[in-house]
Amino acid sequence: MSGHEDSNKKSLSDKPKWWDTFPWWGIAIVAILSWMGYQIVTKNSYELAWDRVIPGISITITATLQAFAIALALGLLAGMGQLSKNVILRNLARTYVEFIRGIPILPLIFTVALVLLPQLQNALGFKLSFQMRATVTLAIIYGAYMAEIFRGGIQSIAIGQVEAGRSLGLSRRQTMNSIVLPQAMRAIIPPLGNDFIAILKDTSLLSVLGVLEITQRARQFSASTFKFREGYFVLAFIYLILTLGLSLLLGVLERRMTRDDRGVRSNRGID
Amino acid sequence: MISIKNLSKTFNKNIHAVKNVDLEIAEGEVVVIVGPSGSGKSTVLRCINRLEVPTEGAIAIDGVELTDPKCDIDVIRAEVGMVFQQFNLFPHLTVMENICLAQRKVRGRSKSEANEMAMKQLVRVGIPDKADSYPRQLSGGQQQRVAIARSLAMEPKIMLFDEPTSALDPEMVKEVLDVMLELASEGMTMAVVTHEMGFAKAAGDRLVFMDEGMVVEIGPPSQVFENPTEQRTRDFFDKILY
Repeated sequence: MSGHEDSNKKSLSDKPKWWDTFPWWGIAIVAILSWMGYQIVTKNSYELAWDRVIPGISITITATLQAFAIALALGLLAGMGQLSKNVILRNLARTYVEFIRGIPILPLIFTVALVLLPQLQNALGFKLSFQMRATVTLAIIYGAYMAEIFRGGIQSIAIGQVEAGRSLGLSRRQTMNSIVLPQAMRAIIPPLGNDFIAILKDTSLLSVLGVLEITQRARQFSASTFKFREGYFVLAFIYLILTLGLSLLLGVLERRMTRDDRGVRSNRGID
Repeated sequence: MISIKNLSKTFNKNIHAVKNVDLEIAEGEVVVIVGPSGSGKSTVLRCINRLEVPTEGAIAIDGVELTDPKCDIDVIRAEVGMVFQQFNLFPHLTVMENICLAQRKVRGRSKSEANEMAMKQLVRVGIPDKADSYPRQLSGGQQQRVAIARSLAMEPKIMLFDEPTSALDPEMVKEVLDVMLELASEGMTMAVVTHEMGFAKAAGDRLVFMDEGMVVEIGPPSQVFENPTEQRTRDFFDKILY
């Protein structure tokens, strides 16, 4: 620090230099992806791997969307449940969240998809495919994570907002729907987006149940051809395209949500 | 109109915020409650619309007991307006939407009825041009006036003010007090917790001095200010008036 006092003094009053705010990381990511794409397009063995892995993408995407939708419903239910006045509801929700959050995802997938759901199937007489069982398991897991997001978002709204609503004669439900939830969405949407991406990545765990999504296909390709480098290289490329594309999309959504918040927000640290 | 009998409120089993308070507020009366911080004046006010549930005692508004389990508090609250120290406007709604929300959902008014009423109240508090602004675009004084308009749009029988000017910059206090003075002169029943002694003198029918959760002295403002009977009251005014 002490050696740079002069330049520091200057930069305090100066506008930020363009190279200080330029998204260099984006250039780096684009460069890496281009290089990876170039390998796949130009090298025969990579193309082979690509052709074997890419058909799994529809399962990956379907499972992601289904798991996210179910998790959203479970999360909202459990999140509101934890804030409920009803003792039973509150404790049910809390038990669900604490139980799920305390166990890693992989063992949960084994126990829920291979033990719990089959037993439930037998008892209730319905039948789910391996893919659906795995998807539901993922949804149950992420529902617990999302419950905490919903609860936190709702609790982040100042108590004065509820008091103002209630003292105008609005009921608990009206206050929640018209005043608390719309404001809480701002705090809820960004972490929900993170979970969306996390679910996408965690659909790779469906491979342990033999579901033919992209990871399972890459494993099969690698194991049968001994081209491990090519198989997993292509797999990583596909995940990167999916997750980066998704986070770009979510970034746009988030900016739109917070645009009218207050002026420009800076991500630069405090001097 | 408001009858408070033997009201006590205890927080966490051992913090006695309010102890055995009796207070009657008649229709059209303006009662100003003053006292040092922590004396329980806000708690008394918040018990009147049951934002705080009394530990003991009874509160009746227009003869309806608030502590009665059969009492529908939402119905009572629609008749009792409340203005908060921190304004508590809804930041995601415009001024107009702030004022119309409860009118539509609680009073069941149509959009045009609610809008008309909202404009009427905005004119009354002097900022009809801010109808389409968001709360964050307004000054503190303007926000508080919107909060008052929001309550008035419900056509309440009673207005409660919980330190309405304490969070304001000094130059904005007057614009809010002016609105309250006018309201008082129009005959609104008001209970006001405040440190604005000028307002108490100008608009108050009665002044209540509270300390340590108890009502120490009640009387016409001029009498309580100039000739307090209790030593504690005298000490308090000696500290704050010069």
